[in-house]
Amino acid sequence: MTAISKEERTARQGSDKCFVPNIVLITLSLGLLMLLWSVDSVSIAPNRIVPGSGFMLWQALGLPGALLVSVLIAALAALALTPQKRFYSAQLIIIALLLLLMPFGLMVAGALLIEPDMPQARLGVSGGFWCLLFVMLLALVEVRLRLKLSRLWPALLLCFVAAVWWLCALSWLDHVALVQEFKARDAQFMRALQQHLVLVGVSVSLSVVLGLALALAMRRFSRLNRLGFALLNFVQTIPSLALFGLLLAPLAWLASQVPLLARLGVSGIGMAPALIALVAYSLLPMVRNTYTALDEVDEATLEAATAMGMRSAQRFWQVRLPLALPVLIEGVRITAVQAIGLATVAALIGAGGLGTFIFQGLGQAAMDMVLLGALPILVLALLVDASLGALAERLRPEGMQ
Amino acid sequence: MIELIDVEKRFGGVAAVEGISLRVPSGKVCALVGTSGCGKSTTLRMINRLIAHDGGEIRLDGQPIDSVDPVQLRRRIGYVIQHTGLFPHWRVARNIALVPRLLRWPKERIEARVAELMALLGLSFDELAHKYPHELSGGQAQRVGVARALAGDPDILLMDEPFGALDPLTREKLQEEVARLQSSLHKTIVFVTHDMDEALRLADHLVIMRAGRIVQQGSPLALLRAPEDPFVESLLGGLERGLKQAALMRVRDHMGSLGPSLPSASRISIDASLRQGLSIMLRDHAERLTVVDGKDVPVGELSLRRLIKETQWEQPTSP
Repeated sequence: MTAISKEERTARQGSDKCFVPNIVLITLSLGLLMLLWSVDSVSIAPNRIVPGSGFMLWQALGLPGALLVSVLIAALAALALTPQKRFYSAQLIIIALLLLLMPFGLMVAGALLIEPDMPQARLGVSGGFWCLLFVMLLALVEVRLRLKLSRLWPALLLCFVAAVWWLCALSWLDHVALVQEFKARDAQFMRALQQHLVLVGVSVSLSVVLGLALALAMRRFSRLNRLGFALLNFVQTIPSLALFGLLLAPLAWLASQVPLLARLGVSGIGMAPALIALVAYSLLPMVRNTYTALDEVDEATLEAATAMGMRSAQRFWQVRLPLALPVLIEGVRITAVQAIGLATVAALIGAGGLGTFIFQGLGQAAMDMVLLGALPILVLALLVDASLGALAERLRPEGMQ
Repeated sequence: MIELIDVEKRFGGVAAVEGISLRVPSGKVCALVGTSGCGKSTTLRMINRLIAHDGGEIRLDGQPIDSVDPVQLRRRIGYVIQHTGLFPHWRVARNIALVPRLLRWPKERIEARVAELMALLGLSFDELAHKYPHELSGGQAQRVGVARALAGDPDILLMDEPFGALDPLTREKLQEEVARLQSSLHKTIVFVTHDMDEALRLADHLVIMRAGRIVQQGSPLALLRAPEDPFVESLLGGLERGLKQAALMRVRDHMGSLGPSLPSASRISIDASLRQGLSIMLRDHAERLTVVDGKDVPVGELSLRRLIKETQWEQPTSP
């Protein structure tokens, strides 16, 4: 026993000595460096309507600030040359640091670039800044995989970063255009966020229940199998906007014919058609994953359950379902992330949600308003993705890892 | 007692097994042997109704199995399969406790039973009870599989190639273990194998199957002595048959009395098999061996000439 572990240890040390440079991280950080020194990081506009003028990193942060950021990113690349575990840990710290420094960078930029006599001036966030955010998220994923961390930790880190950003935005980032857009309509934002969450929550829970039922029915009656999947695949090919449109006439007619439904809030536009469409789209990934999950459970294990004298209900609840659960939760994760994105379109038929800002902003050519809708959707999707992913990981029975 | 009377199973009109009749008295071990696809697994799985038989009758202790609820029936029958079929999401202790839990035994009784079985199979409770199946070695996992099958204290044990996936050393060890357990537990066992040595070692009753039918059945020695056709003979080892037969015979039943002087410097234990005796004779160039008891005291002699003269290799104390 000890001999083996000693051998393993020396083998591991041996493999540590011939490191393979992490090409992914090196490429990402060097590319990012080039972008940061060649693309605008922020822009300043005198008011909401006039397009702003861009500023480079060293103009926004001052030379010392720009150098600090560059050194941190260069360190990321340098550590990736001879990657070992503690280097990856260091990279994790650098990534977290950069993410946390970003709102403070905006503060510095605001102080450096905005003259006191321009109260209407707005600080816009431009390409360089977004690249930094995007590359940091990618690097975080890469480092997580290398450190073999559970998905839970990056999710917690992102939550922490988001909280810091939120605090900064509320207290010090008044000049940032996004914050101004938010402060101008915070009640509206909160309502839209709530509507979005309701749309996603209700449609996902409905499709989980329906999907489970449908998958079970398909398993039992194999004839239903082909028909079901054909139908769900067909629904998936209809463009979302068209589906909303298609539902408009029949639902309006239904509501006019059945007063009870009308009283329940069913109409051609609004929540009802949005929910129906979202559920219709969510069913395919849900059913497909549930079906596969239940189907992939090892036949020998199930036969053993029968042979030991388990009744079919016992076998389902105690063996098949627990063993299928991780894959099943993956299905919920995919469905939820997809629904968060799709719910955006629901704004077009009056169901509200964060899509409202996107379409309003597009109409008014106010990109910051578009961002006010798009950014929370992105954050929401990332959070749901990470937390459900972590849940699936946790539920995976240890014997199956 | 397990009785199969003219049992038949058809898959889509084609007979998978046909005219199977055999009887395993209580406390005896029966091995079903044959090439792959000969219907031996199907036959086994009909006994606990994993597969329903289409014709004939299967009785346990005189009771036709189709007169009992299949779930109740299976809880009375232990079942061991090749790849253990342990539940990967349950720890060892919970896996073993499966049938007692289904039988709704009280908690203390289940705990005591799990500990007892783990001890019986040489599994350390402290070390292994809280591990998951994937953390076990192949041999340990199969021991847990056997423990799980025995947990509800069934009278009958069915084993479908129980040691087929193990390396030869582990397999041999587990075979010994099962033989040792059987000598104290006296279960009625039916097992399927394609390993003839395993069948010869463990079985009281050997059933040779081909293409869904029984070709020959009887005690291992009876079959070795008089295989019915070339197929059975080749299954029984062809030219090696004599040695396989010798492996089943004990020195104690074939030794002569000791003369005034020791017949040879080469010694053999009284509990060894004739096959081992022949091996020592070849190794030491000795026609005669000194048979010693457990305390290394000479008690007799084993003579090659005498063994060869026993043209009809008599069956020792018949089981």
